Amino acid sequence: MPDRTKLLEIQNLHVNFKKGGQTVSAVAGITFDVYEGETLGLVGESGCGKSTTGRALMRIVEPTSGSITLGGENLSTMKGRALRKARTKMQMIFQDPISSLNPRRRVRDIVAEPIDCWQSSKGEERTKIVDDLLHKVGIDPQVYGNRFARQFSGGQCQRISIARSLAMRPKMLICDEMVSALDVSIQAQILNLLEDLKAEYGLTLLFIAHDLAVVKNISDRVAVMYLGKLCEIGPADLLYAEPAHPYTKFLLGAALAADPNAARPDDILGGEPPSPLNPPSGCRFRTRCPNATEKCANEEPQMQTFSPGHAVACHYPLVIHSKSA
Amino acid sequence: MSDNAPLLSVKNLATTFETARGEVPAVGGVTFDLLADETIGIVGESGSGKTVLARSIMGLQPRTNVRVEGSVQLDGTEIVGASEAELRKIWAVDVAMIFQDPMTSLNPLIRIGKQIDETLRLRLGLNKSDAKKRAIELLDLVGIPSANERYMAYPAQLSGGMRQRVVIAIALACSPKLLLADEPTTGLDVTIQAQILNLLDQLKSDLHMSMVLVTHDLGVVATRTDRIIVMYAGRIVETGTTKEVFAQHRMPYTEALLASTPKVSDASHTRLNAIPGRPPDLLKLAKGCSFAPRCQYATERCHNERPELESSGSPSHLFACWNPLPLPTNRTASSAGSEA
Repeated sequence: MPDRTKLLEIQNLHVNFKKGGQTVSAVAGITFDVYEGETLGLVGESGCGKSTTGRALMRIVEPTSGSITLGGENLSTMKGRALRKARTKMQMIFQDPISSLNPRRRVRDIVAEPIDCWQSSKGEERTKIVDDLLHKVGIDPQVYGNRFARQFSGGQCQRISIARSLAMRPKMLICDEMVSALDVSIQAQILNLLEDLKAEYGLTLLFIAHDLAVVKNISDRVAVMYLGKLCEIGPADLLYAEPAHPYTKFLLGAALAADPNAARPDDILGGEPPSPLNPPSGCRFRTRCPNATEKCANEEPQMQTFSPGHAVACHYPLVIHSKSA
Repeated sequence: MSDNAPLLSVKNLATTFETARGEVPAVGGVTFDLLADETIGIVGESGSGKTVLARSIMGLQPRTNVRVEGSVQLDGTEIVGASEAELRKIWAVDVAMIFQDPMTSLNPLIRIGKQIDETLRLRLGLNKSDAKKRAIELLDLVGIPSANERYMAYPAQLSGGMRQRVVIAIALACSPKLLLADEPTTGLDVTIQAQILNLLDQLKSDLHMSMVLVTHDLGVVATRTDRIIVMYAGRIVETGTTKEVFAQHRMPYTEALLASTPKVSDASHTRLNAIPGRPPDLLKLAKGCSFAPRCQYATERCHNERPELESSGSPSHLFACWNPLPLPTNRTASSAGSEA
């Protein structure tokens, strides 16, 4: 178990986008903490606001309201240099490894960019740090250090992105779908690499992805989002074994196991998510939920704790753990 | 299954791209048969040749800078070397294809109804009102709610899942005998993916189609295919019934592919058995086994001599390896580890 110091605290985060005079609430009030040394997985289907959440934490998109606190510093009110300085402690890795890197720059310069920006080291020391990072991510700096980014495959570019993100020794990494563009054999390499680096550098991760198996593999805890809201958050193994929110159960049921003996998902979720321009009243999942009642339409379910660390926003959760009974 | 002649018979199919950097053997001699009503899964990583194989079966390769050799017999008709006029006679009626990206396989400027009608009027000679009636039936069949109104919709007005349903409706319009589905659910959300795969399954049995399901995702083929072909660097490295490939695979690449796939049933932080290295550059294929540089069992012979497909004892199960994994005697489920 990770120790229980909160590194990142997110309180009631909202992100609204204006679209043709209408307002889309992409993230509609979410609250969660990330503890030091843990990996929190954030899953959900496209359009649920998981990527927007990650980008809002970095202030790549501006949060409409809410607070983001990283190690005691309130990121949501910071500006200019203070914000940039604070961002060195929290770095982001993006989905498309190839477009994340400038194809016409050399690998060493890409990785050294943050160091050069902050003038944190120069000359031989800079080269040593850069080569060390490249070595750690499995790119031989002697052979590949002076090559251009365009000469690398997707998996290698993702390794270079990781090296760059670690250059300022951040405490926290936000990984947004960082392995979803990679083939399984390369994906496994990157996931293992991330686990190793996490241990070595004492990192805390927010791992945003749609692939349920990948998220379970890397995460200590998992949070599930639907249409801009959190449905459920809990320890990875527990949440996958005993999902309490009906949406989590459907999502897990639809995941395909690479096993011919696995049961076919017969109980699959029908329909599609409603438009975030006009979300349903009360519980946002109620239009597709088989258990929905009038209460779900009138009253928005709040996050409530079942067992330590496992919380769900549902009026009729599926499992009530023995501990809370 | 019948013991009749196969519906599709692919023999030594090789597709080579002539590029400025040299010849790329994207598909390097593939042989397999597909029976009526059968579903075969083709799995492999990017660049393994699975999509080029599907397009070559369909006869969709361009005429310039591509060399297609070997033979593809579809219900007695030879596709390799057929003229476009000949191909047009079998497209849609005998064989249809679903492409990966439902966003780009529809014309954004034409109403979806008209895109379905086109096939019906052109291939089946239906008149305007019959075609419309049939198109609405098809939209209904693929599970599009209020098909009557959606007939007039433009692709941009539909979600990705709905667009893929429209693409399926077009493919099924003339009840083809064979459906080639190239990554039909990649890019769709898991709940939508489950809907589409169930739909394909049901349509396949209702309409007595055979299907070739091309995917990189072992989860997609695990419960929905009769047989599986595993491809690596343009060649078949293992093929067998779905159970044989998952539970009794002999080829180390198949093992490695299964072992590097994360599983929902495994506890979190289960270390993945990643395969080192990456797939070979097709321009510089070694003379031996293409997987040898990444294979933990590779010997001198693997680097020098290419293994051909050979039987593992079961007539349906073939693999290409000099040092195959031992036959599992007590392996109950896949070595990928199904949940107890």
